[in-house]
Amino acid sequence: MSMYPSHFAEPSLKKETNRSSASHIPVKAATNDLSDSIFYGELKNKLIKYITKKGNKSLARELLTETFETIKRTQIERLILAGTEKENIIIDSEQLLKNAIENARPLLQLSAIKRGGVKYQVPVPVTEKKSYFLAMKWLLDAAREKDRKVHLPEKLAWEILDAACGQGRVIKKKNDLHRQCESNRAYAHYRWS
Amino acid sequence: MSLRVLSVNLLKNNRNFIQNAVRNSKGPGVQALALAPYATQVTVQATPAAVQKQKVSKAMKAYLERAKEHDDFMKTQDLEFQIGKRHLANMMGADAETFTQEDIDEAIAYLFPSGLFDKRARPAMRSPEEVFPARKAAEFDETGRPFHSMFYTGKPNFFQLLHDIVEETNKLYDLEERMLRRGNKPDENQKLETAGFQLLPKDQLERVLVEHIADIEYQNFTNAMDRLISLPYSYKSKAFIERYLKPLIDQSKQLEVPKPKIDDQGRQYITTYECLRKTARADVTVRLPGTGKITINGQDISYFSSEECKEQLLFPLNYSEMLGKVDVEANVEGGGPSGQAGAIRWGIAMSLRSFVDQEMIESMRLAGLLTRDYRRRERKKYGQEGARRKYTWKKR
Repeated sequence: MSMYPSHFAEPSLKKETNRSSASHIPVKAATNDLSDSIFYGELKNKLIKYITKKGNKSLARELLTETFETIKRTQIERLILAGTEKENIIIDSEQLLKNAIENARPLLQLSAIKRGGVKYQVPVPVTEKKSYFLAMKWLLDAAREKDRKVHLPEKLAWEILDAACGQGRVIKKKNDLHRQCESNRAYAHYRWS
Repeated sequence: MSLRVLSVNLLKNNRNFIQNAVRNSKGPGVQALALAPYATQVTVQATPAAVQKQKVSKAMKAYLERAKEHDDFMKTQDLEFQIGKRHLANMMGADAETFTQEDIDEAIAYLFPSGLFDKRARPAMRSPEEVFPARKAAEFDETGRPFHSMFYTGKPNFFQLLHDIVEETNKLYDLEERMLRRGNKPDENQKLETAGFQLLPKDQLERVLVEHIADIEYQNFTNAMDRLISLPYSYKSKAFIERYLKPLIDQSKQLEVPKPKIDDQGRQYITTYECLRKTARADVTVRLPGTGKITINGQDISYFSSEECKEQLLFPLNYSEMLGKVDVEANVEGGGPSGQAGAIRWGIAMSLRSFVDQEMIESMRLAGLLTRDYRRRERKKYGQEGARRKYTWKKR
């Protein structure tokens, strides 16, 4: 339910030269989280929105910055301690976050479909948008489930680092889901019949 | 003066009256007619030859009666309109013969200033052809047989249009196949350019067809047209397609860029007033040779404590590569920090147009910097916890 009419285009930050076709299309106003600064990241923005609780976005932003700081600190520590394999260690925390989310994205999901009075767990492909959402949600869920003494940024940093190299609870959760889908493959035809 | 007001009122009253008359006169014998009981003035004058004949169905008789009534009504309305116009012209001290619709609107706005928000609710005087929608001509002959094969669909013009679209599409399919067999390819140069066009909106299409159509029917129309346009040989039926296209306004040339003024220090400056976002309101001044100084209500950029708001202020400056080249002064009031930042952002972007080239303006437009963000807080609804959230459901 958008305030804008359907023919309005999304704002784009690309400065291209050939845009003759776009000159007739009205554009939606840039939202207040859009910016062209070097610190801007679409994935980052989404994650901030998921971290936010009760509209306290500035706190969520702070938490994510702190997370990135922790990630960078640990990575630099590793870089110093590492002897020979210095090239394999990524320090860029945004890149690490991207890797972590890509690694945690599921392909299939189980959805309950009722046939003949019995509910079947049917594997269903996940859309791209939903897969990103699930990956970030799992990361956050894992980070929020923690000891009393551990601060969220710290835990989130660990989870991201784990997921970025294909380990940890989030990746395990994804693999579990995939395994379950695999074992329920016999019901896959209930999706369309 | 009172006479003119009377004529305006009369227009409305008579309209109701005629609608009631139409409703009441629907007897059992005119059921076929109930679908389209209207006629234009033109048809009424063309029909008398048919009236002479012996065999006139009841439907036709009723139709003719109604058409005549409508015709008379329109005549009186037109007369009243002419009288009203003459009075108005006299009152305004203008010549009645050369008094145009624009003059009428102006005179009414002057003589009857109205504070009503909705423009349609304000007093108006327009020619009866505009006020009363066009009606359909007779759709059947004197024996009651309809002319159109799709008469009993209730919307013959609309379904005829759909039929025509499909016919064109099939023609193009055939053509494509023949061309494929011959090994020809569609001409790339002649390709149909639809970038600056839009399909007719629903209300305009309804006016063209003189029929009311449902949303889903309009969707059927757009789907069929889209398919026709997407065909590789669509340029062959260009004339047909263009009848249902409407040119769009060129957005890049819509807003005029103001010329910068010179202040007492010899610097160029532009002030944008009424920069609105949410409930915040700002006026922003941008001065050209500058050092990148930002003043908001007498403070610098630390007026905003959150990072997001600061980023918002720098967004248009950074995007147009004017950061550090201009000075910005802003006065804001109302709203919260994010609304205020948004208002100033829009003001800066609008002012910067005077200092950058056309291409950059277009880039800024596509980045959504020049669009006013008119989204507002959504109201809370009764029976709900908030704007969208419902109360927790409890069985008892």
